[in-house]
Amino acid sequence: MGGLVLKGISKSFGNTRAVEPTDLTFAKGELTALLGPSGCGKTTLLRMIAGLEEPTRGVILLGDTDITRLTAHKRKFGMVFQSFALFPHYSVRENVAYSLIIDGVPKAQAYEKANELLETVQLVGFGDRRIGELSGGQRQRVAIARALAQEPEVFLLDEPMSALDAKLREEMQVELRLLQQRLGITTIVVTHDQREAMTMADQIVVMSNGRVEQIAKPQDVYHKPANAFVADFIGKANFFDGVYRDGAIQVGDCRLKAKAGFQSGSLVRVAIRPERTCIDDDPGENRIPARVMFVRDLGPLREYHLQSEIGPIIVEYAAGETGPSLVKGDTTTVRLPPDALQVFPGARAA
Amino acid sequence: MTIADDISVSRADRPERRVSTLPAKTILLGLLTSIIVVFCVLPFLLVLAISFGRKVDGAAWVWDFTFDNYQRFFVGVLWPDEVTFLYLQQLGFSFYFAVIASLLAVLTALPFTLQLTRLKRTSQAMWLVFIMASLSLSEVFIVMGWDILLSNNSGLPKLFKETGLTQWLKDVGWFQHLRDWGLANPRNVKFKTSDFATILTMSYLVWPYAVILLYPALSRLDPSLSEAARTMGASRWTVTRTVTLPSIRLPLFGTTLLLFVFLLGTYVSITVFAAPNKHTTAVAIYSNIRGANLNAPFGATQAIMLLISASACLYLGHVFNRRSEVR
Repeated sequence: MGGLVLKGISKSFGNTRAVEPTDLTFAKGELTALLGPSGCGKTTLLRMIAGLEEPTRGVILLGDTDITRLTAHKRKFGMVFQSFALFPHYSVRENVAYSLIIDGVPKAQAYEKANELLETVQLVGFGDRRIGELSGGQRQRVAIARALAQEPEVFLLDEPMSALDAKLREEMQVELRLLQQRLGITTIVVTHDQREAMTMADQIVVMSNGRVEQIAKPQDVYHKPANAFVADFIGKANFFDGVYRDGAIQVGDCRLKAKAGFQSGSLVRVAIRPERTCIDDDPGENRIPARVMFVRDLGPLREYHLQSEIGPIIVEYAAGETGPSLVKGDTTTVRLPPDALQVFPGARAA
Repeated sequence: MTIADDISVSRADRPERRVSTLPAKTILLGLLTSIIVVFCVLPFLLVLAISFGRKVDGAAWVWDFTFDNYQRFFVGVLWPDEVTFLYLQQLGFSFYFAVIASLLAVLTALPFTLQLTRLKRTSQAMWLVFIMASLSLSEVFIVMGWDILLSNNSGLPKLFKETGLTQWLKDVGWFQHLRDWGLANPRNVKFKTSDFATILTMSYLVWPYAVILLYPALSRLDPSLSEAARTMGASRWTVTRTVTLPSIRLPLFGTTLLLFVFLLGTYVSITVFAAPNKHTTAVAIYSNIRGANLNAPFGATQAIMLLISASACLYLGHVFNRRSEVR
């Protein structure tokens, strides 16, 4: 069986369009992250894939098979819910073996398989425990084991880390990715956490207002954002609105050289990542005087918040990287390297 | 003077408010206790005391301390010459009607309430207001309505006959089954008197309570539980059987128990719809205390036995709940 293909899938609730017509391909064995802010339609899209919502239009293909009208219980895609949705009246083992038992597998065999899966998710010896006796991380592992018990062709996770604390979340992201790679299951993860998506995904689908904004590999989404929304949503960026004129962008009284192909007079939005912005005395283009307003030392990173004539600018230096030693109130010069500037259509021109 | 000294001085200067409010609190507490004792405990103690009294033949009753009434309740008035279980049988009918009616009410209220929780908030509120409003109808009013509906001359039996449904039932051979179940005479269907009408009316009486008691538990039910089961291959019935019902088993059991205890004391429905040989302890209590028998001590004994039975059921329910929680 091949990967999962969505053709023109859309969903409306009354007059509200939750998901605009969307074409997506989820390659077999790959992990795709559906990334976007709350209410962008990513969970609705996942629920349509799971069979929990019926698409208003479009087709869902698993390999060559049209599964659009197939009910959730016939698709049998393993799904991990945001709340984990573990059955509180069953033990851990019974939860994991649930899909096997209702499928008619003898209990002894189902429990044996459940024990194997609990071993896979590093929960050996937890089989007899009640769900209420588990921590958040353990519950998530049980939910993963339970979803994997039926050996699904597609593994769906709806914000699986949102109930975990920051440290555990980071650990689980790596663990989940390693498990997915080991099992080679086509996996779709819904998340609003770009760090989570960057850690786990082979491919990221960035969504906003029910639309797909960009489909790309994590590094490309970060370094080559398709539009200003993606540049803003993925990581941090400094933004300046201006007008493209004669090979440069006029931002207030300042002209910024940048590689862009716009018609003269077009409104544009310029973005630059804080780590590509420099505070130095090197000669070059796009140099702007600025004053240090705030210095934030985060340990691995040091951030300078500056105020310039074209607006606020954040400059970021990694620990160990040679950078200036400035304090609040110092004046300096910020350099915006032309090759680091990303130029998008401006708000009115978009 | 140090700050600590200052604080201790200011504390010493502060008036002891606790001392001044204590008598008022004591008076209020005493008043409340008296109200509870006079209106709740005393009537019960009186019934308990009367249950040990003695009926004087041809007259009223006198205070006494005899277990004769309790003995009569268990083995009959003719003991030791003859053992009869008439009063235990009446208690049995109380249980029989209350168990079936409460189960019927809960089983029919459950799918309704489940659907109710899936409606929009405004629709839910409207339904709940409507259901709560129906609680204002008294048992007498409801039974009168059902009495008319099920009466042989103006209710459903007449409708059956006029529309030819009775004849059709005879033609297809189902009429005989209705006769076997006591729901028909040779000419037409009849619902009075019958267990069917009694149970139906009793269920109807408590049905709104069932909805209102189940609603909070069902509205809190996490929909992702059943969705998770569906993604694991469970059909709707399997989801209901393995996820929904076990998740709400405690509220379900609690509701049934509460309705059952409530229905143990049903009087009007039983009097109107149950056959005289199936009258319950509640009816017997009334006929002993206010009716023809004028045997208040024995009526009080029956009331105490009914109360003990209800308490035993509540206790067993509590034990069951605790065991389930431990599991």
